[in-house]
Amino acid sequence: MAILALKSRPTEISPDADKSGPIELVRYVCAIGAMQSAAAIPRVVPITHCGPGCADKQYMNLAFYNGFQGSGYGGGPVVPSTNASQREVIFGGADRLRELIESTQLVLDADLFVVLTGCIPDLVGDDVGSVVRDFQKKGVPIVYAETGGFRGNNFTGHEAVTRAIIEQYVGPWDGVREQGLVNVWSLLPYQNTFWRGDLEEIKRLLEGIGLKVNVLFGPDSAGLSEWRDIPHAQFNLVLSPWLGLSTATLLEERVHQPFLHIPVVPIGARQSSEFLRQVAEFAGLPSERVEAFIKSEETRYYNYIDGFTDFYSEYWWGLPAKFAVVGDSAYNLALTKFLVTQLGLIPAKQIVTEDPPVEHRDAIRAEFRNIDHDVSVEIDFIEDSYQIHQSIRNADFGHKPPIIFGTTWERDLVKEMKGSLVEVGFPASYEVVLSRSYVGYRGALSLLERIYSTVVSHSA
Amino acid sequence: MTLNLKTSSVETREQRLGTIIGWDGTATQLADESAFSRGDCGGCGGKARRICELEGPFTQGSVCSEQMVECQAGNIRDAVLIQHSPIGCGAGQVIYNSIYRNGLAMRGLPVQNIRFISTNLRERDMVYGGADKLAFAIKAAVERHAPKAVFIATSCASGIIGDDVESVARAAEAEFGIPIIPLHCEGFKSKHWSTGFDATQHGILRQIVRKNPEKRQDDLINVINLWGTDVFTPMLGELGLRVNYVVDMATVEQLAQMSEARATVSFCYTLGTYLATALEQEFGVQQIKAPQPYAFAGTDAWLRELARVTGREQQAEDYIAREHARVKPLIAELRPKLKGLKGYVATGSAYSHGLIGVLREIGVEVDGSLVFHHDPVYDSEDPRQDSLGHLVETYGDVKHFTVGNRQQYQFYNLLQRVKPDFIIIRHNGLAPLAARLGIPAIPLGDEHHALGYQGMVNLGESILAALQHRKFHQDIAKRVSLPYKQSWLAEPDPFALSRGATA
Repeated sequence: MAILALKSRPTEISPDADKSGPIELVRYVCAIGAMQSAAAIPRVVPITHCGPGCADKQYMNLAFYNGFQGSGYGGGPVVPSTNASQREVIFGGADRLRELIESTQLVLDADLFVVLTGCIPDLVGDDVGSVVRDFQKKGVPIVYAETGGFRGNNFTGHEAVTRAIIEQYVGPWDGVREQGLVNVWSLLPYQNTFWRGDLEEIKRLLEGIGLKVNVLFGPDSAGLSEWRDIPHAQFNLVLSPWLGLSTATLLEERVHQPFLHIPVVPIGARQSSEFLRQVAEFAGLPSERVEAFIKSEETRYYNYIDGFTDFYSEYWWGLPAKFAVVGDSAYNLALTKFLVTQLGLIPAKQIVTEDPPVEHRDAIRAEFRNIDHDVSVEIDFIEDSYQIHQSIRNADFGHKPPIIFGTTWERDLVKEMKGSLVEVGFPASYEVVLSRSYVGYRGALSLLERIYSTVVSHSA
Repeated sequence: MTLNLKTSSVETREQRLGTIIGWDGTATQLADESAFSRGDCGGCGGKARRICELEGPFTQGSVCSEQMVECQAGNIRDAVLIQHSPIGCGAGQVIYNSIYRNGLAMRGLPVQNIRFISTNLRERDMVYGGADKLAFAIKAAVERHAPKAVFIATSCASGIIGDDVESVARAAEAEFGIPIIPLHCEGFKSKHWSTGFDATQHGILRQIVRKNPEKRQDDLINVINLWGTDVFTPMLGELGLRVNYVVDMATVEQLAQMSEARATVSFCYTLGTYLATALEQEFGVQQIKAPQPYAFAGTDAWLRELARVTGREQQAEDYIAREHARVKPLIAELRPKLKGLKGYVATGSAYSHGLIGVLREIGVEVDGSLVFHHDPVYDSEDPRQDSLGHLVETYGDVKHFTVGNRQQYQFYNLLQRVKPDFIIIRHNGLAPLAARLGIPAIPLGDEHHALGYQGMVNLGESILAALQHRKFHQDIAKRVSLPYKQSWLAEPDPFALSRGATA
C-alpha cells in the first residue's frame, strides 16, 4: 500500500461564497454521510471520529428511512465511533482515535478501514492525518477523509472518500492498461434510493457491449480488487451531471487515464441505446456486438411497451399530462429526459436540490435546455423545501392533476394539489427498495409500472 | 436535590443522577449498588451513588442528546424546531418525520410533515459565527408557520464555536411575542442521549409551562409519553380522570397547562423523571411515586397510588377487579403457548424493568437484559420509584443484566450467553444483528404496547407472531457473514476489552 503525501483538505470541500440560507426538510446530509459510501464498497468498514449521534443520524436517515436499504456489511448506526465527548473537545481527540483504530483491529474484519471526521475533530484541529499515517506505515489498510459537517454535504464527502482511497490506498500506476476495462462513477450510493439496482443495470449494459466493468460500489462490485484495478482501466466513465468529474480529473492527472463524461443517466430504450453507442465509440468497440446487444434489448423492451400501449392509449379515467421533478440533478435530468422523450409528458417544474458546485451549474442548465428537439426546460436550484413547495404550487399544471416525482416531503403537497407522487429520491420513507432499478432498458419498465400503478390507484 | 431551572442549560444525567453506560452483573447487584438501596462501591469518587463503570477502548456509534430533542421538541404540533447546526444534524428530520406521521396516524390526528429548519451552518460560519443565520431562521419559522413557540436545538458545532444562542433567542422573543426556547443539547456534553429528554423538558418548564396557573384542573393527569397508541384515556377514564399527553404530538397549550394538572405519570421513568419531578417541585403537581404500570403487580400498585393521590380509591379497586377478571383467563390461555420460551429485553433502562416483569408474568423466561444506560436514582430520589428494585423484589433476579449504550459488538456475546428465542427492542442497530443469528425481534415502536393489563396480552400475542418470523431469520442466518472477527465472536466476555483496559 502506498503512503502518499496527504493534502490537508480535499479541494472539493471549500467554503463557497456563502449565500446559503436555512433549510427546512433536508434533501441531503453532511459530508460524514459519506461513511455510507465507504460502507457501499464490499468489506470496507468506516471508522467515524465524531460526536455520539453522527453515525446513527447519517445511517438511519440515508439508508434506513430512505427506501429501507439496510446497512450492508460494514455500515449502519453502529460503525466504530469515538463518540467524542467533552474530553475530546477540550483536550483533543487524536489519542482517542488512535485507541479506537487499534481496538477496531481486534474486533472487526475488513479489507479497508476509512476514517471519517465530523465537526468536533475538524473544529478542535485534531491531526487525524498523522494518526492514520502511523497505522498506514505499519501496513494497516486504512485511509482517512476530512468530512466535518460544516465542510460540505454527502456528495462532496463522497468525493473526499473516493479521493482518499485513490490517493492513500490504490497506489501508483504500473503503466499497464487493459483495453475494454472501464471504471464507472455514477449515482451516489444510499442517497439515491435505487443505486444498487441501477448500478447493476448499468454494469449489465456495459458488459453487454463487451466491456469489463469496475462498478466499485454496491453488491455487484468485487470490492477492493476493483479499486486496486482502477489505474489499469482503459478509461473512466462519469455517468452523472457532475458527481465523479473531480475523481475522473484526479485520475487523469495521476495515472493519465482518459474519461468520458455522459451527464444523462439513461432511462428507456432511446436513451440507453444512445448511451451504449456513445460509450462504444469512445472505447473503440466493434459495432457488430454493440448493435446486436442493442437490438436484443430493444426487442424485449418494445415488446413490453407494446403491451403498455393499450393502457396508455385508452385508459378512460385520465392520465397526467404535466409533471414536476424535485431531486438530485442526476435523477432529475434522467427522468425528465425519459418522461419527455418516451412518454411525451410536459415538464412544468424541475428543481435541482443537491446544491451542485457553482462551477457545474451552467452545464446542468444547458442539459435541461436541450431535453428534446422541441422541449427546453429552465431549472431552479433550491434546497429549502418550503421554497420548493411554494415554487411547485405556483407552477402551471393546467387543468389535470399533476404528477410529481419527488420525495416523502411532497406527500402533503401532493394531497393538497390532488395529484400523484412517485418517490424517487432522498428521503423516500414510503418506499421499500431492494433491487428495484429505474434506469436502462429494464429499469424503465419498472418505472412505468410504478408511475401508472400510482396513477390508477387513485380510486382504490 | 433541587432541580435548577434558573440556568438555561440542564444539568446532565451523569451530574444529576450518576448515570452509567457500561456495567455487567446481576440485576440484584445493580439494584443494590444503586442509590435507592444506599449502595456505594467506595472507590469510584465523590458521589455516594456512583457505580463503578466499565469503559473500553472500542466503541460503536451511539445516539446523541440532540436526537432526543428532535424526537420531543420536534414533534409538538404547533411549534417549530430549529436545528442550529451544519446540515448533517438535520438528517434526523427524515426519521422523526416518519415516526411523527406514524404517531399522528395511530392517534387519529391529521397526518402532516414535521416542521424542522436547519440553520445550515457552513465553514464560514465556523469562523464568523452563526448568530445571524439563527436569527434569520427564527424569522423564517415565524413567517412560514405562525408557530406558538420556536425551539432551538444547539449542536456540537454551535457549542464549540460559542454562538450566543441565548441573546438571539431573547431578541427574537421580544420581536415576535412567542416563546423562543434554546435547548442546550450538544452531543459531546453528555455520555448518554437521555440528557436530551431532560434538555427539552427543561426548556418547556422554563418558557412554556404557565408559571402562575389561575385555575387547577383537578381531573387532569399529565401523561409523559412518546407516540404510543392512546391506552391511557380509557384507563384513566375508569377513574374519572382526563389525559394530557406530553410532550410528543401535544400542542403548546397542552404543554402550558401541565402546571394546572392534578398529577403526572409516565410509561417510563427514564423519559419522565425530570419533567415530573420539576412539575411537583415548581407547581405542586404530584408525581405518582409507584412502580411503573406493567404486569399485574406494577399496574395494581400504580393505579392504587394514582387513586390515592386523586381520591378515587373505590373506582380504582372496581377497575382493578374487573381487569383482573377479564385478563387472567386470557393470560391462562397464552401461558401454555409461551411455556419454555426465553426472551431477551434490549431497551431503555426503566422501560426494560417494566417489560421483564410482563414477560415473567406471562410465563416467559428472562435471564438476560441489556439496558442502554442506568440511572442509579431518579430525580425524585423516592424509593417508591425504584423500578429495578421493584423488578427484582417482585419477579426475582435477572442473571445477566448488562448496561451498554447500544454496543452491537457486545450484543453478539450477550446473546450467546443467554441464547434467547426472541428479543424485544427499542432503538435501532441491535435487531439486525440478532436477525442474522436467527433470532427474531419484537420492535416496540408503540411504547404503550405492553403497558397495563392488556399489555400482557398484547405482548404475548406479539411473541407468538415473532416466533413464526423465525423462519425468515433462520434462513438468512445461514447466508450472511458478520463483520466481526472470529476471535471476537469466540470471546465469552462481552466486556473483555473494557476489563483489559481497566486492569
